[in-house]
Amino acid sequence: MEKSWKTYRSEGFFDESMTPRGNPRAAASQAIKFLHSLSSDELNSRRVAAELAIKEMGISFTVYTEGGNIDRAWPFDFIPRIITSREWRQLSLGLLQRMRALNCFIDDVYNKQKILSSGIVPAEIVLESNNYLEPCVGVNPAFAVWAHICGSDIVRDHKGQFFVLEDNLRVPSGVSYMIENREITKRVLPELFENYSILPLDDYPLKLYETLAALSPRARRRPNIVVLTPGIYNSAYFEHAYLAHGMGAELVEGSDLFVGEDDCVYMRSVDGPTRVDVIYRRINEDFMDPDAFREDSVVGVRGLIRSWKAGRVAIANAPGAGVADDKVIYAFVPDMIRFYLKEKPLVKNVPTYLCMREKDRNYVLSNLDKLVVKPANESGGYGIMVGPHSTKETHKKFAQLIEKNPRNYIAQPTLSLSTAPTYVDGSIQPRHLDLRPFILQSNDSWVTPGGLTRVALQKGSLVVNSSQGGGSKDTWIVEGDS
Amino acid sequence: MLSRVAERLYWMSRYLERTEDTARIVSAYNHLIMDLPKGAEPGWDIMVQILDAEPYFHQRFRSVNEQNVLKLLVADDGASCSIPYAMEAARENVRTTRDVLPEETWELVNELSLFVREVAPNSVGRRNRHAFLAEVISRCQTINGLMTSTLTRDHAYSFIKVGRLLECADMATRMVDVGAGDILDRDGSTSAFDPLLWGAMLQALSASSAYRRQVGPLVDRNAVVDFVFLDTSFPRSVKFCMQGIGQELGKLTNHEEPLRAVGRAWRRLNRLTKEDMTQAELHAFIDDFQHQLNELHMAIEEAWFRIANV
Repeated sequence: MEKSWKTYRSEGFFDESMTPRGNPRAAASQAIKFLHSLSSDELNSRRVAAELAIKEMGISFTVYTEGGNIDRAWPFDFIPRIITSREWRQLSLGLLQRMRALNCFIDDVYNKQKILSSGIVPAEIVLESNNYLEPCVGVNPAFAVWAHICGSDIVRDHKGQFFVLEDNLRVPSGVSYMIENREITKRVLPELFENYSILPLDDYPLKLYETLAALSPRARRRPNIVVLTPGIYNSAYFEHAYLAHGMGAELVEGSDLFVGEDDCVYMRSVDGPTRVDVIYRRINEDFMDPDAFREDSVVGVRGLIRSWKAGRVAIANAPGAGVADDKVIYAFVPDMIRFYLKEKPLVKNVPTYLCMREKDRNYVLSNLDKLVVKPANESGGYGIMVGPHSTKETHKKFAQLIEKNPRNYIAQPTLSLSTAPTYVDGSIQPRHLDLRPFILQSNDSWVTPGGLTRVALQKGSLVVNSSQGGGSKDTWIVEGDS
Repeated sequence: MLSRVAERLYWMSRYLERTEDTARIVSAYNHLIMDLPKGAEPGWDIMVQILDAEPYFHQRFRSVNEQNVLKLLVADDGASCSIPYAMEAARENVRTTRDVLPEETWELVNELSLFVREVAPNSVGRRNRHAFLAEVISRCQTINGLMTSTLTRDHAYSFIKVGRLLECADMATRMVDVGAGDILDRDGSTSAFDPLLWGAMLQALSASSAYRRQVGPLVDRNAVVDFVFLDTSFPRSVKFCMQGIGQELGKLTNHEEPLRAVGRAWRRLNRLTKEDMTQAELHAFIDDFQHQLNELHMAIEEAWFRIANV
């Protein structure tokens, strides 16, 4: 047995597999028992096997700054993260509820604006936001759904309670890695699967297909669905190709499509122009159509928004959905749930201070060393200040940024993110994690059983983004209690 | 199938074939020069000419000699006629079409491209040259074999096949052109070295044993030209390639113009009268035929890769 198991403690944090006294939790006990039985050499050989599988399966992601060699192997920790189905059920209901409310909000904002006139969400923070897209006003997409694919970031605090950290409603990525992680674990730790019933998740491409197909403006047995990618240099290109492949859909770039005189979207194929029914777009909305948004876009399709507004093509996620993907709007999601659904929120928000409010701002400015400050409108962990881990100078810099543009900043208490056993440098150590489940909604709605677990591989670090050195784990939802 | 994907597959296939064929030409030439007596220096400029590399070559190098020509073809990744250039272009085209190809294709192409990048710079000299070229040829054959044996016979297969055959026909004519050029710097049409020269050309086309079985052991110019251009059963002959292209294109929609171009090239081929052709006439014929191939390429581009808005 690898001896670091004996001294394994995650002081001050909730560890998902081990109790504070160093014993396995009930749901994880079979897995931990098996891992215990492996020698140091055997553990290492499993790590090597995982790396080999990743290379063979060609799982990669792309890093912007590395120029010539842009594909990087996917960083993976082979010890699975285990969550009981009971805990999961509650969380997944909460996620579905959130997604319904968010779609009500987006549809409302671009149509009747009831939530603004009732004063529940201040009108100016919506209407003056860069995410509020004028061309989308008055559009009525199918089922009143704008965000069809959502990736929500979930964390657990020191008591193990789930919180939603943010909702990604533009082009959330990571779902292909979630599926591949399971595939790697099956190859590397096949013995573990004997004693567990783990909810399978490889039917995601099929669920995605059904979600998208329901949006088709033409009634056809097999509507023409395409995945629109900005191209090979995008960090998620692997995923774009993976999902297109999984759905049997074409992977297209902007230059492959054009909008005809009849307002329909066509792709340039060897059989001539072929009409497209549904576009799963993986490019940012700003770049989708130089006629409607950024004129300098070279990855978009001229006239696409015109076609969408005419109801000739469905776009997922719909342009404009980003209006709800904003860290200020996030603070109002529990209010939205009460307002639109008349329900109590089933999953909590992290307490959030809005710097636009004077009272909140004063609190934030005098507690910068305790808080995490985030720009309202960035993703991938960029532009964030983690107060306790930052210097006085950084605090000063952020104080200035906040004073200059309060609408653009929010702050949250530093969360004690949960940990799980992770294989690092030949021993087992606790590392912090988060979770990104994916929620689908069109005529029906669905949540992935589990999600993509990201793990901060540096000791004590809370930064889990793969673009900043994070890794990932397979996530198991298992039958039984804990 | 998307036009863009079809175009990339077509070019992937052409570049892969070009990689292999360039390795074959260099390899054959390499054998040939060792058989020549001292003093009978072969014309190295012919290699540069037939691969359309003259302007670039003279920018990079001062004198035309073995070392420089080999450096150009084997190791210069900036030269569009070089092995590293063609290989890199093939790799780039596979990278964005991975999902329509058999899974191992990307891995094999990627590995070969890494191999070329690593080993080519040390393979210019006579000592390592042969092993490098042989390895490149064999790995290209592996990749072709993989695609031939596992690809579904759909659009992807058609464009890959057409690309390979078109490139193969083009390179075959270029190889004959090496012989038609005054490689040994002499005037008469008969020479003691003629069989050596044409034997090397057959080698370059992997055609030696097929030729012997079909024509016999005697190697002379007319018979070789006849075999390389007009044989209907040898898979690397020009006629065989044209036939395959015609068959494949016929399956696609909108094939009228490209098939007409195939027809023109076919008729041109049938008018080849080799018996009393001078070297110059043969060269002119090859030039003209390559022009036909280029027109066919443009017709393919027009019909399937440039779909205009309606």
